[in-house]
Amino acid sequence: MRKVFMTALVLVLAVACCAHADEVKIGACIYRFNDAFMLRFRNAMSAESEKLGAVITIADGQDNQTTQDEQVDAFIADGVNVLIVNTVDRMASQSIIDKAKAANIPVVFINREPTPEMLATYDKAYYVGAKAEESGTETGELVASYFKAHPEADKNKDGKLQFILLKGQNGHQDMILRSKYSVEAVKNAGIEPVELASAIANWDKLEAMKIMNGFIMSIGPENIEAVIANNDEMALGAIEALKAQDYNTGNPEAYIPVVGVDANASALEAMDKGEMLGTVLNDADNQGISAVRLAAALAEGKDTGTIGYEITDGKYIWIPYQKVTRGEKQ
Amino acid sequence: MSEYLLEMKNITKTFPGVKALDNVNLNVRKGTVHALMGENGAGKSTLMKCLFGIYEPNGGEIYLDGKKASIHSARQAMDQGIAMVHQELHPIRFRSVMENVYLGRFPGHMGVVDHKAMYERTKALFEDLELDVDPLALAGEQSAAILQMMEIARAVDMKAKIIILDEPTSSLSDREVDHLFKIINRLRAQGVAFIYISHKMKEILEISDEITVMRDGTYVGTWPVTDEKGEKLTIDFIIKQMVGREMTNQFPPREGKPGSDVVLKVEKVCSPLPKSFQNVSFELHKQEILGIGGLVGAQRTEFVEALFGLRGIASGEIMLNGARYTNKSPGFAKSRGLALLTEERRATGIFGILPILENTVIANQRNYAHFGVLNDSRRVKDADEECKKLNVKTPSLNTLIQNLSGGNQQKVLIARWLLTNSDILILDEPTRGIDVGAKYEIYNIMLEQIAQGKSIIMISSEMPELMGMSDRIMVMCEGRVTGFLNKGEYSQEKIMALATQFAGRKDAA
Amino acid sequence: MANTSRSKRLMTVGGLIFLVLGIALYFLKAPLGLNRKIYDLPVFLIIIGICSAFKGFTAKEKTEEEAALAGKTFTEFLTNNAILLAMLVLVVVICILQPRFMQIRVALDILTQSSPKLIMALGICFALLIAGTDLSAGRMVGLAAVISASMMQTATYANRFFPDLPQLSLWIPIAAAILACMLFGALNGFIVAKYEMHPFIATLATQVIIYGVCSLYFDMPPNNSQPIGGIRPDFAQIGQLRLFNGLWKGFPGISILIPIAIVICIIIWFVLNKTVFGKNVYAIGGNREAAVVAGINVFSNIMFIFILASLLYGIAGVLEAARTAGATNNYGLGYETDAIAACVVGGVSMSGGIGKVGGIVMGVLIFTVIQYGLQFINVSPMWQQVIKGVIIAVAVAIDMTKYRKK
Repeated sequence: MRKVFMTALVLVLAVACCAHADEVKIGACIYRFNDAFMLRFRNAMSAESEKLGAVITIADGQDNQTTQDEQVDAFIADGVNVLIVNTVDRMASQSIIDKAKAANIPVVFINREPTPEMLATYDKAYYVGAKAEESGTETGELVASYFKAHPEADKNKDGKLQFILLKGQNGHQDMILRSKYSVEAVKNAGIEPVELASAIANWDKLEAMKIMNGFIMSIGPENIEAVIANNDEMALGAIEALKAQDYNTGNPEAYIPVVGVDANASALEAMDKGEMLGTVLNDADNQGISAVRLAAALAEGKDTGTIGYEITDGKYIWIPYQKVTRGEKQ
Repeated sequence: MSEYLLEMKNITKTFPGVKALDNVNLNVRKGTVHALMGENGAGKSTLMKCLFGIYEPNGGEIYLDGKKASIHSARQAMDQGIAMVHQELHPIRFRSVMENVYLGRFPGHMGVVDHKAMYERTKALFEDLELDVDPLALAGEQSAAILQMMEIARAVDMKAKIIILDEPTSSLSDREVDHLFKIINRLRAQGVAFIYISHKMKEILEISDEITVMRDGTYVGTWPVTDEKGEKLTIDFIIKQMVGREMTNQFPPREGKPGSDVVLKVEKVCSPLPKSFQNVSFELHKQEILGIGGLVGAQRTEFVEALFGLRGIASGEIMLNGARYTNKSPGFAKSRGLALLTEERRATGIFGILPILENTVIANQRNYAHFGVLNDSRRVKDADEECKKLNVKTPSLNTLIQNLSGGNQQKVLIARWLLTNSDILILDEPTRGIDVGAKYEIYNIMLEQIAQGKSIIMISSEMPELMGMSDRIMVMCEGRVTGFLNKGEYSQEKIMALATQFAGRKDAA
Repeated sequence: MANTSRSKRLMTVGGLIFLVLGIALYFLKAPLGLNRKIYDLPVFLIIIGICSAFKGFTAKEKTEEEAALAGKTFTEFLTNNAILLAMLVLVVVICILQPRFMQIRVALDILTQSSPKLIMALGICFALLIAGTDLSAGRMVGLAAVISASMMQTATYANRFFPDLPQLSLWIPIAAAILACMLFGALNGFIVAKYEMHPFIATLATQVIIYGVCSLYFDMPPNNSQPIGGIRPDFAQIGQLRLFNGLWKGFPGISILIPIAIVICIIIWFVLNKTVFGKNVYAIGGNREAAVVAGINVFSNIMFIFILASLLYGIAGVLEAARTAGATNNYGLGYETDAIAACVVGGVSMSGGIGKVGGIVMGVLIFTVIQYGLQFINVSPMWQQVIKGVIIAVAVAIDMTKYRKK
């Protein structure tokens, strides 16, 4: 029912938008609206579209690939000039590429990367995003540099880093790469990483809080030297759990460095209060802007070299990550 | 080949704290009707449930055709030719009669039901039993009598050798009883044995061949209804065996006369449904017992339920103690001093899974509460006093009411309404399915209430009770009042004549 | 007779043995170097010992009749308490695998985590008692969390939900959140009572509505569906405050959630057992038709049931927002199934009319201990799900055999 309703809604919105036939019509699909990162992405896309004079319609996939497929169909049926898709399940990208190809409209994937083989099946398929491994590497580097600068951080004085890893949704590419490269970066900095425990907390604050609470109890906070989370919400959840045990509340004796990814508002506030060590900014604004510019250029058949972002291998726009640490505001 | 088709030997069954059956015997011959008698709580139902595989006896043996039988479920009982027609029937209301007859054993192949065969077979069965019912009609639309016949048809079709009938006539009119007996006689001639549980002495003497009496979970004895000399057992003899003492009067003596004040005046009250009660008018006097007679389907129950606010009224006027009364809701009726003891004790009376205490005080909670908070000691005190007064037999007030016998449940329900101190008690079939001893107690309670200035409206389908207890009888037929009879002019014939006044139409079944 | 006094003696003696052992270990653990092996085990032994001995001393001699009624054989005892015993076995196993489990802070943590669940379960038990259910419970938690958190952000926070909102008194957002829930509770009650709709359908509809409304609210600009953060510390304290923190060295304090849950527990026990309303709930659940005949106003009672339940969900939602210092519209997802499961394990009958507060407390505790324990020894979340499902099925199966007479 909800799906039918949403599809109908998308159609109505789309119809409402097609008053000006000569404008570029962009159909955008977001995997879930209430995701902090994708929200910034959305806002950037809307603003940029307005600037370019393009009409953009954004649909909420509600974390359901079937719903999103229906939304893509509705967009195509409505005659959009270009699609921007943030898939729910990145392995479903192929069917979306096929649909776009059949309708002969370009498609720009964002945030969740299709495999190179998939992109290769259609000349008008692109990907805009950040290199997930880069975000992993940078969080690892944040922890490593803190560890080196603060000898007291090595609580058991063994020269190794005992850490806890909080992971995002199972199978998510960012989760896999961030987890892998953050640990790698610690190793590359010359410190041996020791994983005390890791768990999947689905990008969620509440879940991360519960899991972290369990780890604090079973491992003991005095044995934990760092918490690496795949995103900020989970890092913040871990911090709430630590605060409940009087950790990370300003007492330097009881502090565990926690890092995340995204640099959202709550994370920045937590860093200002000294509760969180650092985060990595996944630059949603530039990703959103570049995705819309690329889409508009493709729709109008213009040269994609003029959009102001470099296109790698004819298929990719990579937006770099930025480290954000304590006290630095955006 | 054994002399008996069924032998139950030394059956013993205990529940936590209670010995429900103690070495009970029951021997049933082929092609006979064997009456099983005893007061409520004597263990008849428990014994039958042991036979039917619902309970597992703790001791004793069951033999069928001289061979030891093992029965652990209703299914096994049915497979071995035992069928049971329960007192309260629960058909699948929204399915057809034929599907109810063949429930659990639909004819067909590999899971595909053969509806045509089912229809033909049901039709043949019904014709054989002289039942005029369309097999495709919905079960929920059938009368209790038809449903019972349907169950018997089901048993016949399953080639049952023994059919247990539990209070089969409690909701049947005389005409329907005749029909039932005709069927029983025919099946008996074919060699089917019946175990017949009933409290109605006359019926039992009419239909049965042998009688087994139980008392307090023990076996009292078995007697042929007609001995070698051709003499029949007497009702007094059976009652004596059942209660263990002589019972001289069926009804306690009525002292005093109804007053002249009119407490309830009903004028031309009509139901919104055309087939239900219409133009009902009567007056109820203080300290009067007004009996309402009629056949099943006379809309008596519907009328009193409407009076109590359970059903709507389209037109007419009701005056209660001289003031206008509207039937807003049962709660309102209660607050105006009305009480209704419903006909269906289990469905609309008791809270089976709640203790006796709660069942007793539930209609009177407000009187024990300050700002919604209950005073427990007063609740317990009142419930205890009332249950003792009405002689409710129970180990404690915390016993679940579903563990009591029907008579004791009924007494608890009466206690419930007495606690509300209502002025007008409406009793719908107050003694249905209750044993002789408890009946007498309930009659006594009624008279006590009258003596205290209360008034009673009593619906009864039992002629002796109606005539024995009422100060006046109002007879209804197909929703209309067909006449009043004053004490002194009662006779079964007169009541029947009024109850069948519109007999030009189909029997009001 | 002999049997009961023997069990009494067993309890007393066993309790005393535990007590002595506990005291001995308490003083010996440091000299024996067991500090890191048994943690707070001595304290637990002492507590169990005192309770058991006390119960043994004060247990009433049962009369013969009562003893016969109780009529419990050993196997019956085992089946009746199978889930509880399984839990105890699990606890012992966990203690061996991971001695850290034997800490007072772990016990307190389990109680803390049980508290919101208990509040939920106490709310949902009303719907179960009238043979219904309440699927909207979880979403109400989300609604209350979002509403209360949205008005409780610090003035300096960058992404405020209401950028120009002044510093409100604590009670306004809490009242607003709970009232919003009660509004939907009233909607639930109305459609169930007025149209005699099955609560499953009615609350399913409300659940969807609530999620939609909550998401609309959550998506209002400037928030646009961002997780709500920057929660005022005074609000967070409602869920995070720890009483007696640092009473002695290493004592983590008792979370405020525990006394809140206990107070609610007592209130609900009182409501169910000592008020007209409570008795009416059991009566309506036991036999709705008979309740009507007895003159109970079924409509208003059902309305009140759902409103009271939503009040509890609202409280749970506010506490959840305070505890995590944040909220999203996904809070509370699936809480209703956990609450129903805990009730059912605690002996509440889905067919209505049967259920006690004590049972619900046990159900919630059993669930939390098992879940917490499994996570403690790092059992995969997928296996945790499997085990949870098995517990529900087994617990209810045992319960059903208890009620079935044979």
